[in-house]
Amino acid sequence: MTADVIQRPRQNGLWREMLDGWVTTLTEPSLDVFRAQKAQADPLKTALGVGLLGLVIGLWAVAVGPASLVTGTESIWVNLLRIIFFTEADFFILSLILFFIAKGFGGEGSFNQHSYLLSLVAVPLGMIVVALLFVGDKLGLTLMAVLNPLSPVGIAGILMILFGFYGLLLLLFALQAVHAMQASAVVYTLGTPLIGWGILRVASMFAAHEENMITTEWDFIAGQWAKGTMQELLLGHLWLVVFSVAIAVVLGVVIGVLITWPSQRPQPSHLVILIPLVLCFLLWAASSGILGEGMADSIKVTVRGWDRSLTRVGGFFGPLCDILAAIVSKPAALGMIGMMFTIILYALFLAGEAASDLTLYIAGIILTIPSVALFGVMIKPLGIGPFNAAFALILYAQLPILRNTYTGIKAVAPEIVEAGRGMGMTELQLLLRVKLPMAVPVIVTGVRVSIVMLIGIAAIAAYIGNDTLGEYIFTGISRAQEKRYIAGAVLVSILALVVDYFMGWLQNRLTPEGLKGRREAA
Amino acid sequence: MIRFEHVTKIYPGTSSPAVDDLSFTVPTGEICTIVGPSGCGKTTTMKMVNRLIEPTEGNIYVLDERGESRNVLEMDPILLRRSIGYVIQQIGLFPHRTILQNIGTVPKLLGWDEARIRRRAEELLEMMNMSLEYLDRYPHELSGGERQRIGVARGMATDPPVMLMDEPFGAIDPINRNILQNEFLRLQQEIKKTILFVTHDIDEAIKMGDKICILNEGGILEQFDSPTHILSHPANEFVEDFVGADRALKRLNLVRVEEVMDSRPPLLQATQNVEEAVGFMSERGLRFAYVIDADRTLKGYVRFRDLKGKTGWVDEFVEPAATAILMGTSLKDALSGMLVVDYANVCVVDTQNRVRGLVNTEMIHRAVVESESEASADEEGEE
Repeated sequence: MTADVIQRPRQNGLWREMLDGWVTTLTEPSLDVFRAQKAQADPLKTALGVGLLGLVIGLWAVAVGPASLVTGTESIWVNLLRIIFFTEADFFILSLILFFIAKGFGGEGSFNQHSYLLSLVAVPLGMIVVALLFVGDKLGLTLMAVLNPLSPVGIAGILMILFGFYGLLLLLFALQAVHAMQASAVVYTLGTPLIGWGILRVASMFAAHEENMITTEWDFIAGQWAKGTMQELLLGHLWLVVFSVAIAVVLGVVIGVLITWPSQRPQPSHLVILIPLVLCFLLWAASSGILGEGMADSIKVTVRGWDRSLTRVGGFFGPLCDILAAIVSKPAALGMIGMMFTIILYALFLAGEAASDLTLYIAGIILTIPSVALFGVMIKPLGIGPFNAAFALILYAQLPILRNTYTGIKAVAPEIVEAGRGMGMTELQLLLRVKLPMAVPVIVTGVRVSIVMLIGIAAIAAYIGNDTLGEYIFTGISRAQEKRYIAGAVLVSILALVVDYFMGWLQNRLTPEGLKGRREAA
Repeated sequence: MIRFEHVTKIYPGTSSPAVDDLSFTVPTGEICTIVGPSGCGKTTTMKMVNRLIEPTEGNIYVLDERGESRNVLEMDPILLRRSIGYVIQQIGLFPHRTILQNIGTVPKLLGWDEARIRRRAEELLEMMNMSLEYLDRYPHELSGGERQRIGVARGMATDPPVMLMDEPFGAIDPINRNILQNEFLRLQQEIKKTILFVTHDIDEAIKMGDKICILNEGGILEQFDSPTHILSHPANEFVEDFVGADRALKRLNLVRVEEVMDSRPPLLQATQNVEEAVGFMSERGLRFAYVIDADRTLKGYVRFRDLKGKTGWVDEFVEPAATAILMGTSLKDALSGMLVVDYANVCVVDTQNRVRGLVNTEMIHRAVVESESEASADEEGEE
């Protein structure tokens, strides 16, 4: 048995080695693994592997796309050979481009090692992706189906995206290992062709626009802008994000402060928390008809009145009033949520620091729930529309703000807190005059992360009937209008970049003067 | 006054006390240094005074502004802390607040108006010999020594009768620490605060303390006494080891140069003519002499062999003195200064560089011998 195991690599050494290389790089991805593989670089193995990839792609193309491939008189085998050749040629051309960019950033590897390590990533992942594509094609792959995470095709699509990201990560390792570069230089190496491609694409679009050859994404955007629909969606998008972040900031900072506070014992004076709790309960009870139908009806009438006057507001504050209208129109849900938060906040107030781990853990888990799923789950209690969207967005925005508040306060040097306490500051004064001002830069970073993240998620909120830029993406996909969804995606990205820049400016403004210089000095 | 009465602190979850049945009294206007090995509970002792740590047993009394003795355990901790100056290592300054805001922390808590806070801060900066432009700077723009001065100023902002200082000069290089210690001692001459001063450095404890409280591990009081007495009569082996084998030398720390110097030394005027100076020096057998001008400012010195047989004015032969000792310097520092430049005689000058006396190695030696015999005389007297 043992002898057999030792014998094997000798019998079919080359294949075995190739297989081992793929398996280790895929299953234990790390810089060290790639460094070890670098020593085994071999042009023959690279060519064989890429050839194999070409074979798989060729077979797939032949199997699923016979119409385009088998036109003319050539047999399938000619086409297969052509695809194998082009796959290999593509690989080496791309390798060469990356190689020279890496050289430009100070890379030191040889082309042989470089292409060998890239093949370790590209070949197995390429084969897997081709297999997934094959499955997708057989099941009728469309983008709409890909976006539904619960369909088999959706799973295949998500897997492909995941493999794509995974491949990107492995590529970073491969480039770093072969060229002995710094991580930042590796990112630039991979980023440069992407940016170059983007610039070429935009330039070609403008060129096409000038020539009046085809309509472009820009034409679409310009058309939407002229009609005024884009402004509406943009405003709706921004208001949804701003509203959610504003509430998330209050909640996140309060919870973050509570979990740095020493734990308390319940005292009679704490009964004040019953006031909002009772109000919330009454609201819930009254609107759900427990206190009599008359009460429920009168609430309904009042709410309808508010709803009508709020939805009638247009202009800049229109979308905000729509959100508020959606919220007040569900008094029962509002009461439930109010009660829930009162109880959570009081529990955190009592538990204080002891609850910090659990709280951060739960906030982390919430962030891992896919947004579409969360929107879906909330449809039953909260309906569709801005209330549902805002609720989910607030939950998502929590974690970064909460965690940064916590770490920001915890990072204040104990000597400084001690000095404040020793000079006779109360705990509240210590918080407001020392801890929070010193944590501001960290907290604002959390808000910045949250707000940029929410801009992305708010696009998905269009799925449950919100007027956000995601509208373009969803209608674009369902109508198979490429221009529409690309325009939507581009707009969302630009919005995120602009808001991020603004938040950077705001962060600089909010950071206390004395802390800025300290960072430079450090 | 700060009085400890049978104070014990046992932290929850531990069986042995951190501070064990501590009783001592710091008289009003004196500095009491608390010193001991790490884990001896010296910081715990200090923090019980402003109730950052609550004592398990016993009582602590301090004198308030009206001169009444108050039990701190019966006071509101927040108000108590605002009434006691608190100075910790330089890192305790608030980095996000200007020097003015830092100094104004407690006054602001007490509700002073802005103008009054600024006036007081300016006063304190002057007291610390710092320029007023520091007020609007931030702590990171200051050097370590400057930050520490601000720390002390912050502790004195409301002119509290009692101050607690936790290793205030601990994070500073030895040269600056020495300067700060001397400055603070001079300041204490004027402000006369009652101070509890925690340090781990026995030299600092001896230098700064009117009284020293030596604690052993487990918060046991080994000796509470004046520095001189602790050096001459260590209560037990622990104290003897702790103060070190060089305690005779350490005693030099306790004597100031003005106590031993010759305050009417032979001096030459810069405007004297050389023949007169030669006569003056040969009469007294001097090989050299210090030269002053009309308002006693030190000009330098002249050598007898340079003057002999020359004519003219003393002024023409003066060479600058390599060192002079400031009034208030301890004998230890003075001796060390003299050894560095290899002088047997040095001028003692005031802050305006005016000559106030002369000190030489012989006088220092005599002082050590005298304090030794004084100490043993005390011993006999006590017995």
